[in-house]
Order: sequence, then structure tokens, then C-alpha cells
Amino acid sequence: MGRMGRAVAVIGTGQTKHGRRDDVSYPDLVREAIQAVFEDAGITIQDVDAIVYGSMPSMMEGVAFNHFYMADALRAVGKPLLRTETCGSTGQSIAQTGIYWVASGMADIVLVVGSEKQHEGDAQATMMTIPDKITLPMVGGAPVAFSMQSREWMGYFNIDEAKAREAAAIVSVDCHDGGLNNPLAHIQMKVTKEEVMNAKIITYPVRLLDVCPSSDGACAVLFASKDKARKICKKPAWVKGMGFRGEEYYTGDSNKAVWQSTIGAAQEAYKQAGITDPRKELDVAEIYNPFTYHELMFMECLGLCPPGEAPDYVIDGVFSPDGELPCNPSGGVLCTNCIGATGLIRLAEAARQVTGKAGPMQVEGAKLALSHAMGGLEQFNAVTIIGSKL
Amino acid sequence: MRKVGIVDVALSPGVGSSLSLMEFTYKPVKEVLDKVGIKRNEVDAYVMASSDVFHSGLSCANSFDIDATGAFMKPMAREEGDSIKAFIYASLRIMSGIYDTVMVVTLIKGSEHPDNDTLTSCFADPFYTRPLGIQETTAAAMQKRLYQKRYGITDEQCAKVVVKNLGNALRNQNAHIKKRVTVEDVLNSKKICHPLRAMECAPKSDGVCAMLLASEEKARELTDKPVWLRGFGSSMDTFYLGDRDLLNTQLKNAASMAYKMAGIKNPAKEIDMAEISEPYAFQELLRCEELGLCSQGQGGSFIDSGATQMTGSLPVNPSGGVLAMNPYVPRGLYRVAESALQIKGQAGEHQIDKKVNTALAHGSYGFCGQWHGVVILGN
Amino acid sequence: MNKRNEKPRTLKSVLRIPYEMAQGPAWTHFFEGFKQKKILGTKCNECGRVLIPARPFCPRCFEPMEEWVEVAQEGTIVTWSYVNYTYFGVTADMIPQVPVTVKLDGTDCGWWGGLIGGFDVKNFDLVNKKVKVGGRIKAVWRDKVEGNMYDIDHWEIIK
Repeated sequence: MGRMGRAVAVIGTGQTKHGRRDDVSYPDLVREAIQAVFEDAGITIQDVDAIVYGSMPSMMEGVAFNHFYMADALRAVGKPLLRTETCGSTGQSIAQTGIYWVASGMADIVLVVGSEKQHEGDAQATMMTIPDKITLPMVGGAPVAFSMQSREWMGYFNIDEAKAREAAAIVSVDCHDGGLNNPLAHIQMKVTKEEVMNAKIITYPVRLLDVCPSSDGACAVLFASKDKARKICKKPAWVKGMGFRGEEYYTGDSNKAVWQSTIGAAQEAYKQAGITDPRKELDVAEIYNPFTYHELMFMECLGLCPPGEAPDYVIDGVFSPDGELPCNPSGGVLCTNCIGATGLIRLAEAARQVTGKAGPMQVEGAKLALSHAMGGLEQFNAVTIIGSKL
Repeated sequence: MRKVGIVDVALSPGVGSSLSLMEFTYKPVKEVLDKVGIKRNEVDAYVMASSDVFHSGLSCANSFDIDATGAFMKPMAREEGDSIKAFIYASLRIMSGIYDTVMVVTLIKGSEHPDNDTLTSCFADPFYTRPLGIQETTAAAMQKRLYQKRYGITDEQCAKVVVKNLGNALRNQNAHIKKRVTVEDVLNSKKICHPLRAMECAPKSDGVCAMLLASEEKARELTDKPVWLRGFGSSMDTFYLGDRDLLNTQLKNAASMAYKMAGIKNPAKEIDMAEISEPYAFQELLRCEELGLCSQGQGGSFIDSGATQMTGSLPVNPSGGVLAMNPYVPRGLYRVAESALQIKGQAGEHQIDKKVNTALAHGSYGFCGQWHGVVILGN
Repeated sequence: MNKRNEKPRTLKSVLRIPYEMAQGPAWTHFFEGFKQKKILGTKCNECGRVLIPARPFCPRCFEPMEEWVEVAQEGTIVTWSYVNYTYFGVTADMIPQVPVTVKLDGTDCGWWGGLIGGFDVKNFDLVNKKVKVGGRIKAVWRDKVEGNMYDIDHWEIIK
């Protein structure tokens, strides 16, 4: 391991306008992202060898095995299709499925699509069916599980509550500012540090402005082999490394303050990409942050700062827009969370950054970017590194 | 492209188990690891195929499944739908050169979920088709009627598939349905969805299949009898049934991809045995045609000829097939596993007499088979 | 596409799908312990860890966990939260509530075992003062136990 197969490039990305999308049916929402990706790449469905699709479980929108329902919107008729799903990390997992497909030599161009229409179902009810009814019937939805983890992290490193709260507020302010630069973001509003710090408690320590929205939206990415990418695309982005790790079903089996699945996934991706000092070498990071406190934890577990010190680094502005390593210039998950698409959006934004196509969100001269997603009962982490050079 | 080998497999019985899903899944995974003689953390990566939430009551099932599949802190992913998807994905991971060993695990407990069609009715879209009561069985009934009308396939010929497959299942220790039946029994069983009779439809079963795949070098190191992946293909059909010709499905496309990759020109001659997903009896006949094992419209005379019997020239479903055991998601990987065991000569009492050099496995799900996957194995 | 100026409609629908899940020998025995107000863990003979809820096998060593040990009903708080919103299955009278993960004495894992209780948990300032990571709690059983996860009524702060 540590090897990569055939080189794989990102040759196009497309997203919908995210938000409450009652104006379109679910397949039409998916079609919107697919139209956008083909426009971006300048190719057609005839050029595509295979399709990968992912979303959260059927209970989210009430249609089982929804790749059947989506087959036509996905333009998958007559083509091989894989349907990967790993909970919140789905968006990264489908990207990695597409990357393995191209790397294997069995396909030259793969269309990867992730989607969610959260307003059509009850997302928290769905999350409550992740724990089983026999041994974990009382486990609440995602905010409960992840807030428990945030509190564990604060307790484990003995982080001063006021300091953590201030750092979380800075993350929220930076992300909301990013969202204002992102025309596709669901949440577009200015917030202040004081507003975040004094917002209503949802699940302690998480407050209202520390939490992501429930979004409808889709994202599509085209991956291609080196030869195809060079032929089709003026400026492809390149997959430099990827990792995925999962932990036990019962959250208490592992220390969640030093999150080994994040560390493991990042280390594997860094090794493939030849990265030894990620904060210095990376130019931008798109981190899966449905909760501000999680972005803090991820900064540590992704190796961007020492364990237990993320609040200090954030307060020092290291990860702010004009800091050493800007995080989530797109506004991140905090401004848009169409779950099945979310991890893929991170990768699409990373690719746009390293190809200079990020518009108002552009980090000047970005060459190497990290994309990430997490999911499960504090269990799964995925990292994919995207660069401007092969 | 790197060669992919099946090192070993383990299968659970299909009858409803009193073990929890976690215990039930653990057993075959542990069995494969012990047989091969490696530890779970020595396997490079894991790909699982488990239920959509509606089949298990568990959302994001990889959350629950990870412990029993052995994937703790290993690279992993989960496929949804037929488990041949997981087999294909695991093979891609080995072909990419990034991993040498990948464990595929697929699991379901049919005994815990409601009737198949309560769940398959949820495939329908909420606006146009769900209000009409379409599910897999009503869709299959329409496909059967069309098949009988266009090609003159008789009820007796369809019933013969049940007699053959349940007969074969008597020798398969894992089979769920074990009873000797006659053509008359099948024809006299309840007309549940005309022209389909109760005995022409598959049950719902428990099932776990664990399969260790490896690169060529690693496979030779781990087993004396590797089974080689020679080809695979899969294809998706359009959603609305009315937009399709139900007798001209994407199986043809999936098969031609698999044959091309395997270098097979004349499947009827080159394939020694096949395991074909047939949740409805007539589909075995139709699928034999679409796979090119007999000519189009000749599925009826193909079973009449005895060719697909255990002792015939091209045995189909010596394990008893899906009619004898139908764990919804795992059933595709069961077909691959049974084919691999036939090539290894380790199928036990249902091992066919002639030597198996080339075998075909097929998986399908959705209304009239909206997705098809075909795998060709060789020795 | 929508040239008629019709406001796109939505359709309300509800699905109900019943399941009957096997508890299997390991979880059955665990809850038989609850019926006697005992908390039973399983011990891994490879790594030596004692885990609750009881497991059929060790997720890391992947060997069967066949040795049963009764563990203490007191332990140390690993983490907690103060839940102040309603979601599916949770009614307004049930919140705020304080879920807790506890490391029981004699075990080697945290256990998301239920809710803190025994005082006014709806008062956040009071909760934040009394509930500490590293603090000690003990199980308070319901009078009538039935052998399921609801048998432990709440966890009481002891230090």
C-alpha cells in the first residue's frame, strides 16, 4: 500500500443551487448538477464509461434503492453503475469509488454523483435508525452524538470552555463569510462572534450558529485517466492521495478526542501524496464541519496543528481566510449540507481551488488542497488530496 | 491490468437464524479468515454489501456492520443493492494495484424484515408508480405474461425450473427451502399474481457470504486452488417499465461486457455451468436466452432438453438458486461463491459431475431486473 | 420549463415498516443480567479488555468473547451533553435532557448508557456545575425491570 494505480484527474465539477428546493423534483435536482458538470468539462454522456451514485439511506427521501429512480437523471441507462454509501462520508466514498475505477484501468471516464433532498424526509429520524433498537435505543440524532464527542474532546485535553467557545465562534464567522462568497451556498448571512457565542444551546456545547443547515442539493464530478484528461481538459486537477478509515460501532470503544479514523485516513492520503508537513504544504482545506467544534477537532486530527491546540491556532487566525492555511473558503458544511453530496462538494471545491476556478472564494495561488468527510456514530473518516500538478 | 483471484469463501445457511445480525455476520467472516489462515488486520481492505435501511431497519448500515465484517481501522466502503456490486468494486481495488487483498462481505436477515414486496414497493416513485401498487412481483407477472405470449413459453416449462432448482437444493446444506416438488405441485400452488403462482416466487431468507479476493501473486500464496476472475459486466436500465422492452433487457449488455473482457465468443459452448438469479422461475429461462446460453425464445425448449439439469451439458443453479434461498442483497455474491466452489471442486453434495473450467454468475434486482451484473470465473 | 406559472406542488406521505430483530445469545444474556439488576460485560482473552454492552466477539482481535464478568454499577463520566431540541421520538416534556457516556469500573470502554438524573436537569447552569468530565456516577434502576435498555432509569451524580 501507499502506491497509487493509474493517475486520475478531475476534469469537471458541477453543483446545484443548494437550499430548500421544493421547486424541483428529486431527479430534476440531480439533473441540474449533471448538466452543470458536462458544461464544465465540455464532454457528453457518450464519453462516460461508468457511473457512481451515492446519497444517504432511503429513509431520507422515502424511496428505496433510489439509484433505480435516479437512473435516467443520472444518464446511467446502458452503463455500469456502482452505488456506494457510507453515511456522512458517502460523498468522499463515491469519489474514491470513481477514482479506483479509473485507476484500475476498467474505465477511462467516470461520472460520480451525490445528492440529498433533506426537506423531503426527516433527517434526524433517519439518523436515529443508525443505532440499533436492541442495545442503543436511546441514542439521539447526529447533533447529540457529535456534541457528546465535542465535550469529550474538551474534557480530554482540559480545554478551557470559554476558549473553545470563542474558537468555535471564529470558525462560524469565517464559514458564514465564506458562504457569502459562494453563490450556491444554502446559508448566506453575516454573523458576528457575539451572536454565535450567545446563540441558543441546541446540544451543549453546540449552539444554533455552530450547526449546519438541512439542505437540498447535488454535486457531480468527472474523473478521467491521464491520457483522456490531457486530451479533454486544459487544466485538470490531479488526485494525489486518498484514505478512508472506520472505527467500532459502539462509540465508547475508542477514544474520540484523539480521533484515530481521521488520523488514519489522513496519514494514508498524505503518504500517497508525499506530504510530511500538511499545514505548510497544503494551500487550502475543505473540512467536513457540520458542527464548528468538529472543525476544531479535525484541524488537530488531520495534523494541521498539535492535539488540544486547535482553539489557540484558530484564535491566532492561522486557519482564517488571510491565515497560513484557509479552511472552508466555500462556507463549508456549516453553510450547505445536502449530506450525500457534501463530501463530494468538498472535493469539487478543492479541485476548483487548485485549478484557479473558485471565483470569489479563490485562495490565491492554491496548488494543493485537502478534502474530507466523516460519518457514522463518530466512526468514519475519509480524506482525498487534490493538486494542480500530476 | 492485474489479475484477481478468489482465495476462499464461506456461506451461512438461509433459514431464519436466532443469532443477532452481528453474531450471524461474524461467523462466515471468521470462517474464511481461519480457513485461509490470516488475521482480520492482515487483510488490506474491506468492501461490504448490506441492506438499504428498508431491508434491515438500520440506516448507514456500515456503522453497525463494521465490527462483524472485521473492517476496524482498515480501508473500507459499502455498496448497496445486489452484492455483485461489492464484488466488482473489490476487484477494481485490486486491479488498481493499490491493494493485494480485499474481503467482500454481504449480509442480510430476511427473517427480520417484512415481506419482500412491502420493501420492493418502496422502489417505486411516490408520484406516478407507487399509487399503482407496482412492486417486484407485479412487475415480474407482467414480464412473464409478455414472455409467454411472445415466445409461447408454457406454464409447465416455467414450473420445471422450480422442480429442478428445489431438487438441486436438497443436496445443498445451506438452502432455505428444502422439499421435493412436482410440476403439478407448482401448477396447483396459489395464483398470487397471475400468471405467477406462489411456488414460482422466491422466499425471503437470511444469508451472509464472505469472500477473500487477492492479486495473482497473493492468491497463489494463500491458496492451492485460486479461482480467477476472467470478466465482469453490469448495466442499468431505465426506470419506468413502460419505457422498456421487458424481454430485451440490460442483461444482454452486461453479458457482452463480461464476455468481451473474458474473451468468450460462444458462451453456450465455453461456459460449463451457471448460477443465475431467478427470483421468479420464468426468469431463469429468459435469462439463459439473454446470456446467450440458448437462442432467443428457446428458453422453454432449453429446459425441456435437460441441458440445465445437474447432469446436463450446462447445469444452471446446481445450488438451488434464488428460488431455494433468497437473501435479497447477498444473493448475487452467493451465485459467485457457488460458481467458485464448483470450479474448486468444493461444492460438496451439489458438486456437478463434469469438470468446471469456466463458470458464470449473475445477479439482478429491481423491477424486471433494472440492474444486471455478470461475472465470469475460470480455473 | 414551467411556463404555466403553476406553483410546483409537494406530496405528503408516510411509510410504516415493521421489523422483528433477533437479539441472539450474547445480547439476550446481557439483558437477562438487567433483570437481576446486574451489568454483565464480556472479556476478550486476546487483548484482555472487558466491553459493555456485551459482545459476541472482540471487534479488534476478532476472537469470540465467551468470558462473562459482572462489572461495577459506578463509573467515571467520559462525556455528556445537554440536549435542548426535540426530534423524532422525543417530545417537548422530555427535554432538556442530559445523555452521558460512562466508563464503568472494571470495564475498558465508555458506554452511552442513558441519561443523568436525580436533580433538576432542565437547569443548564446547574447541570454545567454538577456534571463534569471525570466526575463519578452510579446507575439507578427502575423498580420494575424488564430486561431492556430502559431498565436503568437514570445515572446519579455521586461526586
